[in-house]
Amino acid sequence: MKISGSYTLPAAPERTYALLQDPEALAASMPGCRELVRTAEDEYEMKMNVVISSIQGLFAGKIRVADKEFPARFRLLVEGDGKIGFLKGEGVLTLSPADGATEVHYDGEVQVGGMIAGVGQRLLDATAKYLIKRFFEKMAARVEQPS
Amino acid sequence: MATTITKTETFVGKRIRRKEDPRLITGTATYVDDIQMPGMHYAAILRSPHAAARILAIRTDAALRHPGVVAVFTGKDVEGIGPVPCGASLPGLRVPYHSVLARDRVYFVGHPVAVVVARDRYIARDALDWIEVDYEPLPAVADPEKALEPGAPAVHPEWPDNIAFTYHQEAGDVDKAFAEADVVVKQRIVSQRLIPTALETRGVVADWRSGEKSLTIYSSTQIPHLMRTLVAQALGLPENRLRVVAPEVGGGFGSKLNVYAEEILMGFVAMKIGKPIKWIESRRENFLCTIHGRGHVDYFEIAGKRDGTILGLKLKLIQDLGAYHQLLTPAIPTLSVLMMPGIYRFRNIRAEVIGVFTNCVPTDAYRGAGRPEATHGIERMVDMLAAEIGMDPAEIRFKNFVRPDEFPYATPTGLSYDTGNYATALEKAMEVAGYHQLREEQKKARQEGRLFGIGISTYGEICAFGPSPATPAGGWESATVRVEPTGKVTVLTGSSPHGQGQETTFAQLVCDELGVDIDDVVVQHGDTAMVPYGIGTFGSRATAVGGTAVYFALQALKEKIKKFGATLLDSDDVSFSGGVCICNKTGRTVSLAEIAAASYRAAKLPPGTEPGLVSTYFWEPPNFTFPFGAHIVVTEVDRETGAVEIKRYVAVDDCGKVINPLLVEGQVHGGVAQGLGQALYEQAVYDDNGQLVTGELMDYAIPKATMVPRIETDRTETPTPVNPLGIKGVGEAGTIACSPAVVNSVVDALSPLGVRHIDMPLVPEKLWRLIQKGGQA
Repeated sequence: MKISGSYTLPAAPERTYALLQDPEALAASMPGCRELVRTAEDEYEMKMNVVISSIQGLFAGKIRVADKEFPARFRLLVEGDGKIGFLKGEGVLTLSPADGATEVHYDGEVQVGGMIAGVGQRLLDATAKYLIKRFFEKMAARVEQPS
Repeated sequence: MATTITKTETFVGKRIRRKEDPRLITGTATYVDDIQMPGMHYAAILRSPHAAARILAIRTDAALRHPGVVAVFTGKDVEGIGPVPCGASLPGLRVPYHSVLARDRVYFVGHPVAVVVARDRYIARDALDWIEVDYEPLPAVADPEKALEPGAPAVHPEWPDNIAFTYHQEAGDVDKAFAEADVVVKQRIVSQRLIPTALETRGVVADWRSGEKSLTIYSSTQIPHLMRTLVAQALGLPENRLRVVAPEVGGGFGSKLNVYAEEILMGFVAMKIGKPIKWIESRRENFLCTIHGRGHVDYFEIAGKRDGTILGLKLKLIQDLGAYHQLLTPAIPTLSVLMMPGIYRFRNIRAEVIGVFTNCVPTDAYRGAGRPEATHGIERMVDMLAAEIGMDPAEIRFKNFVRPDEFPYATPTGLSYDTGNYATALEKAMEVAGYHQLREEQKKARQEGRLFGIGISTYGEICAFGPSPATPAGGWESATVRVEPTGKVTVLTGSSPHGQGQETTFAQLVCDELGVDIDDVVVQHGDTAMVPYGIGTFGSRATAVGGTAVYFALQALKEKIKKFGATLLDSDDVSFSGGVCICNKTGRTVSLAEIAAASYRAAKLPPGTEPGLVSTYFWEPPNFTFPFGAHIVVTEVDRETGAVEIKRYVAVDDCGKVINPLLVEGQVHGGVAQGLGQALYEQAVYDDNGQLVTGELMDYAIPKATMVPRIETDRTETPTPVNPLGIKGVGEAGTIACSPAVVNSVVDALSPLGVRHIDMPLVPEKLWRLIQKGGQA
């Protein structure tokens, strides 16, 4: 499944870039995120509750940040699995300044397997869009708080 | 002697309601899941979420600590049993070792990895989540054409080309036929993977009696005896220590014409834990792990003359086999090749079959098994040739049919068609449909801009499987007919009916031969402890082969009845009919019940005659039978939505002599419903990584009652000389005939836009896009 879109966060690219790699901000903004721990430079471990269609379950996964070009772009690699299946994906986030704010453009591909693929496929697209939207909304709310 | 009443009512040929229906529609039938036993345990199976992966480690200790969990078995525990058997053989066939549980590698999503045994089924299911498996995912391939490309992931590393077999069949002079042709039409035709979706999923109960060293397996199967032989071998158990029972079976359609890992596995588990064990397949497991049907990519070329004469046919058939061979997997496409000529006279044929491994669940027999794909191909190609030369699709068929005086007809693929009256069936269907009027109506509809189509399919099929030399496991069938001491009649049949209605049709045969009432006959089946042996129900064989065995058993029994009658009547000239034996000299009579009682009392035995009235017959058919028919479908496609409306469905089927027209119509209705499923709705979809995307009934569309149109059924009757009853079989006809008739109709509807072929399923989105693009794919 290909995922792409964009969202404007009300902060300059430099701050947005930092926030998007800040474990605390990420953990607070990712829907269903139970835990996000930095394990090495640009590597995180995450536990996340995923709900799709009639199924839900806990995912344990890894996130890795690569190809960093501060403050313009970075690549995100995600993989995780749980009792309801597994997911694997990667994408590039491109940040461009827009009137004091930052337009974050994301473009990636996600592969799912196991029960989420067999049962949730028809809802995957909509669910992914919803989760991404919720993520950016929470991020935006966070950005607006004084740092 | 008491006064006896001669019975004159006959049953064969009448619309008798099914004896089996009351228990089915009142919910009182006993299926595998209805079986309860003291001390019963329950199994759940952990299955691979990956289409291809190495298993690096399996940790079961957490599951074993789960209260109520009794045992967990993995691949290393079952090395001594198996493999899951493949019964088909072809020259050079590559047969991967199909272990009962995955060993160091998984090959498709759903591949069984571990089995949990627990005190109840909920604990068993929960415990699956406590097993940890470390997988190393590997590249997978799910599309048979991609699997053939150089550099494609190897499903089985030992065979990097993914080719399980190739098979070539050729007859006549194909190159000459194509060189002499005025017209050659080529088309790639896909017969998509289908999920059989029996209403009852599979299920197994296994019960080991350690004192008797005997195992009983209850399984929802079409082939209890073959299963006994094969599972006994897989478990290393003497066959006479294994009993297999097929209780009520809620539909099979070929998906239960198999021996699966779970039957062997549950036998193993029962013997290990010393308790009865039950495993019931969930619907999601059924979609992932029970065989799929079809899965063809066919490249057809047809050569013809401008006058409509078909000269020859070429086919390159790519069969998606899945990751393993189940019981008959590699044999199915060879049936397609046999049926390639359809019911037409051309003699030049070339078929290349490539059996391809993919990281998917295996394909195998599904209603029609190879013949629907062939019929869809030839019926589409004949229509495309007709369109190319501007000929009416009915006319091109009349021109090419094998003629009634050419039977028995030797086909270029090596079959001998028994009897046929192909033109008569088509004429009848055209008459019922009002074909010429429909064409007028179509002209008018087209002037109004409506997309109105008429589709014909004139199918032939192979039924009554089959003569033993042409089958992998023997093609005969057994029957025992027993008149009990009280005159009631018990029939034991080796065919194992599961919805086809032989408890009724076989009783009808008995009624007419023995002059008893239909309520006095009980037909029993599906238990290897009761029935001597049997082949089972598949390939439209149960009535044509199993019923003929009943008929021959009855003939032998009647001779014995006459001997006892003659002794009782003290006569040397008796006849038996209508349930009484009559002395032809004195007119004195004795009833069947009196004869039965005397035969078991055995106070006075006729010379050289054993006591009792029991007769067993194993009947070997000399040939297959070849039913045929013509279906005409009228459709209209909505320009705005792409939805197909079936305006008329006319089915004229010729299955030879008919024992019960009600049941024949029922078979046609059910068959057409499944054919419509393929034509319009159903498709098993794997994504590029081998994940089954259509994993449940929310995503896999089988036709609901409201989606099946009224079917106008009619018949012609051309008896077969293959069996004395003249019956041919009708189990698969509807499915085989339906999909090409529907697609021909929709292509006809869209032909003003320049559409010449559409692959199934004809879902609204596909048709809407075609209409939007003005017919250009």
